[in-house]
Amino acid sequence: MRIFNEIGSYFLLMYRVFSRPEKSRIYWRQLLLEIEKLGINSLAIVAIISVFMGGIITLQLTYNMSNPLMPSYLIGLGNRDTLILEFSCTVLSLMMAGKVGSNIASEIGSMRVTEQIDSLELMGVNSASFLILPKIVAVVLMSPILFILSVFCGIIGGLIAGPLSGVVTVAQYMGGIRTMFVPFYVTFSILKTLVFGFLIATVPAFQGFNVQGGALEVGKASTRSVVNTSILILFFDLILTQLLFK
Amino acid sequence: MIEIRNIKKSFEGRPILKDVSTLFEKGKTNLIIGQSGSGKTVLLKSIVRLLEVDEGEILFDGRDIRKLNFSDLKQLRQEMGMVFQGGALFDSLDVADNVRFPMDMFTNMTTGEKNKHVDFCLDRVNIKGAHHLFPSEISGGMRKRVAIARAIALNPKYLFCDEPNSGLDPVTSILIDNLIKEITVEFDITTLINTHDMNSVMEIGDNILFISNGEKGWEGNNTQVLFTRNKKLNEFVFASPLSKRIRDLKQREDDE
Repeated sequence: MRIFNEIGSYFLLMYRVFSRPEKSRIYWRQLLLEIEKLGINSLAIVAIISVFMGGIITLQLTYNMSNPLMPSYLIGLGNRDTLILEFSCTVLSLMMAGKVGSNIASEIGSMRVTEQIDSLELMGVNSASFLILPKIVAVVLMSPILFILSVFCGIIGGLIAGPLSGVVTVAQYMGGIRTMFVPFYVTFSILKTLVFGFLIATVPAFQGFNVQGGALEVGKASTRSVVNTSILILFFDLILTQLLFK
Repeated sequence: MIEIRNIKKSFEGRPILKDVSTLFEKGKTNLIIGQSGSGKTVLLKSIVRLLEVDEGEILFDGRDIRKLNFSDLKQLRQEMGMVFQGGALFDSLDVADNVRFPMDMFTNMTTGEKNKHVDFCLDRVNIKGAHHLFPSEISGGMRKRVAIARAIALNPKYLFCDEPNSGLDPVTSILIDNLIKEITVEFDITTLINTHDMNSVMEIGDNILFISNGEKGWEGNNTQVLFTRNKKLNEFVFASPLSKRIRDLKQREDDE
């Protein structure tokens, strides 16, 4: 029964979030701040993780698929498709759920327990829309950008790790990167990142917005938001993969 | 003027407010007093509709806040200012931006006009040279004063203060009390203060509503409160030996 209550409350909150903003100029300012905080500030960590993962995937593919019958270009191809189809959208979104999601939940939760949200309401401001909408737009806008950056950095990571360890040459690796490229994979993954971005912003915002109590509950909400968002990302990954590849 | 009629509120079947009715007058400091857990904050939050009451009417100059639709409620709330217990200043904004915030949201003032009004509001609460400090960089008393400055930024008709003296030293408490009293008279607003600070009761209690176990226990002013025969109120007001001594001294003075 509680889960239905939660789902109902989530949709009611979304209804409030997507109502008309009071002053679009203020929302625009908020949006730029959120893009910087939630998106730009994640560029470095996304790049670092992706470079390492690209390198690791390349090495793993080489060591586990070394077979005289297997063409060497498969290493680059495998790395590229792994990055595009799952790592740079799903795994990266799981990581973002931890970084960005916990940030959103704790920020909004702290505002709730220190009565800042009540204060906004009392001024006549739609607090849900004012606080949450810019975060949703920022995360959804930045997710495809982070995805593209991640794929690029992952490929570079493979390009560094493969030839450096001597398991594959630059020419073999780059040949694989260019072989049998399916543009739909990119479209598919960008669609997934948009859905995941929406989840990463809204689920923690919902948890933070409904915090009751003090600092302890803010911490719990933050943890719950990461767990719930991660489960939902994997659930939607399954559904979207089934729907879009059918 | 704010009138509440037969307010009832319960949480999960547990009654918190039991049929409370009273009138809060304009241009006066109306105090809601009572022990912790008596229902004061619930009453204050119910009046401003941050909490929904189960039954009763809450009339803001004749407008029942419970019957207002979303846009009318928004309109009415722009006529309110509230000072929360911890100040509730926005952490991400500096002092000047906190005071400017309601103007940004609800007025079409130019930047120059806003800056001028921010200066006026901060001057009014005796804050100088702290425009660019953040809430985490100022003291508790200063935070309360900035909260008052923000609350009066849109010239409200109704001012609500939830325990404005909590966590403050006696000197700062008196400053805050006097400031609220002055603003109430100066802007001719209806002010409701939720407190259990006896000094505030004696200094600025034009009208006092005593809440006991969610019920209206007593009503009067700061002169009457000293000599009431209401047992529960006496237990509350004269809980400390110092208050008892003051009452005895005053009684002796009056007898002489």
